[in-house]
Amino acid sequence: MRQVLNIANYETRHVFKDIVLFGMVFLIPLAYIAFFSCVYIAGILTDIPLGIVDLDNSKVSREITTTFKNCPKFKTIDSINTYDQLEKAMNNGTVRAGIVVPEDYAQKTSHRQDTKIMAVYDASNLIWGYNIKRYTSQVIGEIRANHTASYLAGQGYTEKEVKNIMSSISGNIEVWYNPTYNYTAFILPALIMMVLHQIGLLSVCLTVTREKENNCWLQYLCSPIARWKIFLGKALPYFIAIFFNYALLTWSTSYFIDLKIIGSTALIVLLGFLYSTFITSAGFFISTKVPNSLQATRYIMLLSIPMFIISGYTWPATHIPGFINFLARLLPFTWMAEGFRLVTLKELGFQYVNHIILILAAAAALSTILALQFKKRQKPREKGLTVNCGPTYPGNK
Amino acid sequence: MLNSYLTIMRREITYMWRDKGLRYILLLVTLLSLFLFWGTYSAQLLKDIPTAVVDLDRSNASREITDKLKTAENLKITARPGSFAELKELIKQGEVVTGVVIPEDYAKDTALGRHTRIYTVIDGSNFIYATNASTAVLSVTRTVSAEVGIQQLTGSGMQYQQAQEAYRGIQIQQEPWFNPTLNYAFFLVLGWVLNVWQQCCTLASCMIIAGETGMCSWLQIKAAGFSRLKLFTSKSVVHVITFMLLILPVYIIANWVFKIPFNDHFWLLTLFTLVFTISLHSIGALASSVARNSLDATRYGMIIALPSFVLSGYTWPLEAMPQALQVFAKVIPQTWFFQGVNYITFKNPGWEFISHYFIVLAALAAVFYTLAAAITAYRY
Repeated sequence: MRQVLNIANYETRHVFKDIVLFGMVFLIPLAYIAFFSCVYIAGILTDIPLGIVDLDNSKVSREITTTFKNCPKFKTIDSINTYDQLEKAMNNGTVRAGIVVPEDYAQKTSHRQDTKIMAVYDASNLIWGYNIKRYTSQVIGEIRANHTASYLAGQGYTEKEVKNIMSSISGNIEVWYNPTYNYTAFILPALIMMVLHQIGLLSVCLTVTREKENNCWLQYLCSPIARWKIFLGKALPYFIAIFFNYALLTWSTSYFIDLKIIGSTALIVLLGFLYSTFITSAGFFISTKVPNSLQATRYIMLLSIPMFIISGYTWPATHIPGFINFLARLLPFTWMAEGFRLVTLKELGFQYVNHIILILAAAAALSTILALQFKKRQKPREKGLTVNCGPTYPGNK
Repeated sequence: MLNSYLTIMRREITYMWRDKGLRYILLLVTLLSLFLFWGTYSAQLLKDIPTAVVDLDRSNASREITDKLKTAENLKITARPGSFAELKELIKQGEVVTGVVIPEDYAKDTALGRHTRIYTVIDGSNFIYATNASTAVLSVTRTVSAEVGIQQLTGSGMQYQQAQEAYRGIQIQQEPWFNPTLNYAFFLVLGWVLNVWQQCCTLASCMIIAGETGMCSWLQIKAAGFSRLKLFTSKSVVHVITFMLLILPVYIIANWVFKIPFNDHFWLLTLFTLVFTISLHSIGALASSVARNSLDATRYGMIIALPSFVLSGYTWPLEAMPQALQVFAKVIPQTWFFQGVNYITFKNPGWEFISHYFIVLAALAAVFYTLAAAITAYRY
């Protein structure tokens, strides 16, 4: 055990000595999540710039436009009065939604002629698009209900009768787990997992490459210390740091920005333990295989986006082709992001995530086995001229 | 004069080619990501949202609601649980996203004009599913509610046409502009691929100074009194041309094969990308000038490149971010680029509007190059 602790001590000193690595291990995960939290702090889109073009300017049209104006989700831009202005404003992003009431609208409706109000919205960004579509549908529902009520009142129905008729069916929609459609609650847990994965791997993957670059790896390979002790000693500080970051990010997002983190603490800890184990072992394995820190950093940097997109966390897995889903299911990030969502957002128990825990445990075990596969006897490879692919890179020496 | 430039350029190409890791990244990653992301979003539209119907009434009226749900935009009935508890279980397991419960005595209550309630549950844990599902369900429940209302009014003696007028008097048509089918692939694939591409380019451009000063040959270059400007310019030209050669096939495949709309602005987009590439390269040069070695340069470059897409407002709108962050975002070329790409590919903003983006990108490039030059001159 003393040998393991000695190696761990040596590794920790390296982390503290390299200021950039120190930042990556202890500061950047928190800094990234603080940054992402600021980006998504609003959570819900409000004050959507809306242009209203009322070409009719009648009592009926004003009632309709007022309902949109009164909707707290929209912010009316008063400078838009014509269709051309609206079109231009939509094109340059000054407004994201528009209401157009055609000329003679009131007259035509009173004569039962064909005419309609147009509610347009910017779908070039579907975060805008989906939200505006939903808000607009709600406002349209309100307008139609008001119209029905006033029509029936005009036909001589009493207020009570109108109420009875209109409320004969109520279509209650209850949104579970994220009732306000908060984007932060949806996206931030996955970003936490992605940052831990990315920065964790980037930190651990330097553990062996650094030794290679300093010509010290040979000493480990020649020493009478068992492979598992080398692995454990070098990986231990990173495992502790990754797990610490996992706990810190989970707690801080819950405490400071009210991210919904509920569910079993034991399950959250277990998921974090398995995920941290996988990241540490996988990083060590990569480190034994790549020639230097620069190459390791380059490859790992590019992992996060594809991994995030194919995981099915945002665009549902049901709509992703089978072979990409298969690929995604080979990645522990996919399972961790889903497991974390099920436990912390949906508050589900062990029976709903047991398969995820099993898969993460298998991934952690497999990556540990692979990490332990480095050979203690290696012949130095002789090759021709290599640029940045050998045991060094510019500026390293 | 030109020969010396060409010699350095040839040397830079050789160095980039011999850097195996970088070569694979530059040649393969952007193109592969296009196919991977297109494959992921190949469904394009979020149709067939898994829906469960709990029909506790089992009457003709309740079956009509089920039929409406079957034909509703974006919904697909995949389960018919016998009870609410079963529905709850299906939602917990993620088997369905939406559940509609038609209560017992629904037909009887509506026939007698008594109040009844159609209960709908939506799993809100996935924002994209939830927003689409709620809009679809809302539309169905409104139609049903209107039909029942019309029935009641005709039952109370009103003419059918009048009753219909009461419920459908106001016609409001929703019209999504710029992406009329709400196509998710059109919205995101190009953005994500460009994000991967700009990361690859950052990796390469971060080598421009640290990659040179970190090698022993730097002493020879210095001793020979070789012009640094000439060295830097020649290397930069190679980088920028390489980056453009990487993205052009992506644009061609995206537009011609995958039919991602460029709004007939292919050449404008290419020109815009060229200006951005120079601007992006300037950030890489700046990171490279302050770094101790190539590894640190790569790290600094990626610290900017990785979160830049999120900050750019391409997905979560810039307007919804705090003011301070919006100001910060505008100092980063990626923000202007991704915003500009959205305008060029989807809209028709006009040269007057988009020229502003060109100018800002060029100005940022000038500032970052100047800073990089000053730091390099001071350090080396």
